[in-house]
Amino acid sequence: MIGQVLGHCRVVAKIGEGGMGIVYRAYDEVLHRDVAIKVVKKDARLDTSSSQRLLHEARASSSLAHPNICTIHEVGENEGELYIVMELVEGKSLAVMSAAIGLAPESVMRYGVQIASALARAHDRGIVHRDLKTTNIVVTADGLVKVLDFGLAKQMSSGIFEGPTRSFASVENMSSVSGTLPYMAPEILRGEAVDHRGDLWALGVVLYEAASGRLPFEGRTGFEISSAILRETPNPLGPPVPPGLWAIIQRCLTKEPIQRYQRAGEVQAALEAVQSAGIVSASPSADPGAPRTTVLHSVRHAHVRKGDFLLLVGTTKGAFILRSTAQRSRWEVCGPYFHGHSVYAMAFDGRDGQHRIWASTQSYWGTLLRSSDDFGKSWTNPQQAPIRFPADTGVSLKNIWQIALGQPEEPNVLYCGVEPAALFETRDAGETWSLVRGLFDHPHRPRWMPGNGGLALHTIVLDPADEQRMYVAISAGGVYRTNDGGRAWTAQNQGIRAMTMPDKYPEFGQCVHKIAMHPARPERLFLQSHWGLYRSDNRAENWLDIANGVPSDFGFAMLTHPRNPDCVYIVPVESDEFRCACDGRLRVYRTRNGGASWEPLARGLPQKRAYETVLRDAMTADSFDPVGIYFGTRSGQLFGSRDEGRTWQKIVEGLPSVVCVRNAVVEDASGGIWPTLPKPAPALSRSAKSRSKSKTRRTER
Amino acid sequence: MPVTFHIPGALREFTAGHSKVEIEHSPAILAEALSALWTLYPGVRDRIATEQGQVREHINIFIGDENIRYTGGLASPIFDGVEISIVPAVSGG
Repeated sequence: MIGQVLGHCRVVAKIGEGGMGIVYRAYDEVLHRDVAIKVVKKDARLDTSSSQRLLHEARASSSLAHPNICTIHEVGENEGELYIVMELVEGKSLAVMSAAIGLAPESVMRYGVQIASALARAHDRGIVHRDLKTTNIVVTADGLVKVLDFGLAKQMSSGIFEGPTRSFASVENMSSVSGTLPYMAPEILRGEAVDHRGDLWALGVVLYEAASGRLPFEGRTGFEISSAILRETPNPLGPPVPPGLWAIIQRCLTKEPIQRYQRAGEVQAALEAVQSAGIVSASPSADPGAPRTTVLHSVRHAHVRKGDFLLLVGTTKGAFILRSTAQRSRWEVCGPYFHGHSVYAMAFDGRDGQHRIWASTQSYWGTLLRSSDDFGKSWTNPQQAPIRFPADTGVSLKNIWQIALGQPEEPNVLYCGVEPAALFETRDAGETWSLVRGLFDHPHRPRWMPGNGGLALHTIVLDPADEQRMYVAISAGGVYRTNDGGRAWTAQNQGIRAMTMPDKYPEFGQCVHKIAMHPARPERLFLQSHWGLYRSDNRAENWLDIANGVPSDFGFAMLTHPRNPDCVYIVPVESDEFRCACDGRLRVYRTRNGGASWEPLARGLPQKRAYETVLRDAMTADSFDPVGIYFGTRSGQLFGSRDEGRTWQKIVEGLPSVVCVRNAVVEDASGGIWPTLPKPAPALSRSAKSRSKSKTRRTER
Repeated sequence: MPVTFHIPGALREFTAGHSKVEIEHSPAILAEALSALWTLYPGVRDRIATEQGQVREHINIFIGDENIRYTGGLASPIFDGVEISIVPAVSGG
């Protein structure tokens, strides 16, 4: 056989032999890939009709495209010999891996989820395995499960391919039954009608064996085994097998099919629910250095539709996505994503037809930038942290405070502001990031001082009228501006007080909490400082005090109205020492005349004992008309206004401390979304104008 | 005798689900053992160490029962058959 060509596959080597067939490694000379070929022996007990049925079934199975199912490429006959060309799967069988003592429960559940997923796909297509067992489940070196021989068992009544498939010679009247005795459901032994639920019984046997290293129903003879299957209950599995996993196995091994799980998808969901902390790896890559994706199970996910409105909420213990319609009156709270991790920065990138959510996560295990293209169902989980300081800096990343989109005509450009204070840039949509050296090497940097929250670059503002100009704000370093795309930076703090320094008006060192720009007037900037409210009308050349009639000029959050360039929102707090809403009254303040005067907006907000704090990125504005304003508090409440701040409603309470709020509107049926821009809406740029014609609404910060 | 790492649950998605990882060769110091660990499982590295190669502030590593902070840090000596545990420190808010 070696060297022969079957179809267009040249047989290379023999790799195994079963009861009625031999397995070869072969090379597909047309498609240039390695394959496996199973050749049925000429003396196999297959009559003509059985051969035809086997061919038919194998062809049906070849339609199963699923990552956990070994794909059948081709079936055929060669000089009276039946052969099946299939995906070459290299790994260890679950039988070998489970031998003696079984696997760790985490592994059992991880593999179990994949097996159940494979069964669910096949059952949906009307294909039943009929011979599921640990010897035809292979786990690759990457932890990927492959179920072999789908749909082949029915016609192979004596167990053709695999040696371990037992003969039923010792069991009366079993000659017409397919399968392997220890995995065989009671209804099969009773001679009753068999359906896909027989596979779910076998899955229970597989899980039991994987968890314990032994079969649930054993015996010295076929008669003893079948008797145990029909009448006995398996020995219970105790620790380390969690009770939840044991309960799933028991339900699979219920004697009556009607009392079992009815669908493989139910088993899959049950296993996922038991998996601790809800995080498992999905389809690990063959390349250990390759990017990874983490699927978050046991988390409520958003089912986003055209026209939906989203709030992205970062907290000190994870992220949430709130979904609503354009009415913005009822909210579905989804998450938490990244249990226990601080999420200081989120952003939505809808440029170039994408709908990508970005989030920074910080925990014991470091700080990562992650993204999701499916509204939070799965997130990148890179093996190597994508944002990292070069070795020569001697500096280590502590946190990512801001994720900012580049100009709309450069959809692969993003920026991150980090702690310790530095700016990172990507020009390939986040694949690689580089430190902006022009700012990092600034001679002022060694003299910047950390504030209460550390030494952070927390705000990035791009000039929509000049792609070379950008502003950043650093606590405590002040405002810096580049006019040449990041090579040279100048401190732009003239007129900003530094209350904590001997010189009250130094060149740099001010603790600036937030700066905001309106795209219609890019020469104008507003600024909320550690103490002080300011406006600049000349690209931050100097700053004017605009704290006219506010109860306190201390605060964090600040945002501009999406359409009115004279309108700005802030949430003052009482003082440096007492960073809570003034007088225990939660009030947003708004100016509609560029800071000449401010008015409180409090209707619907708590006005007694409301010692709330709204942090620097915890406020956002949508683009509806009238504009919606949303903010979260350090006590975990989220408020919203659909009438530009005139009246407020509580959207949700009980969240962890809110540190970031962004929003996005789902614009079209393809899932395209306009983002909350952590930078000015590029209404003045050419590309923005062209986009605004094709889209009816955009969302701004 | 191999050196055995005990992998915390949060990192097992980077060790193919393994709660224990054995390093076959005989490292002399902890840094060598860690290097061998993340040659096997690269995703573990950035979770345990900063980009400057220091153990993260809130991660403790024990050689046997001894915290490496008191045994020489990354230069702590390793003996055949020793078990190394990686655990988050008691901290938080």
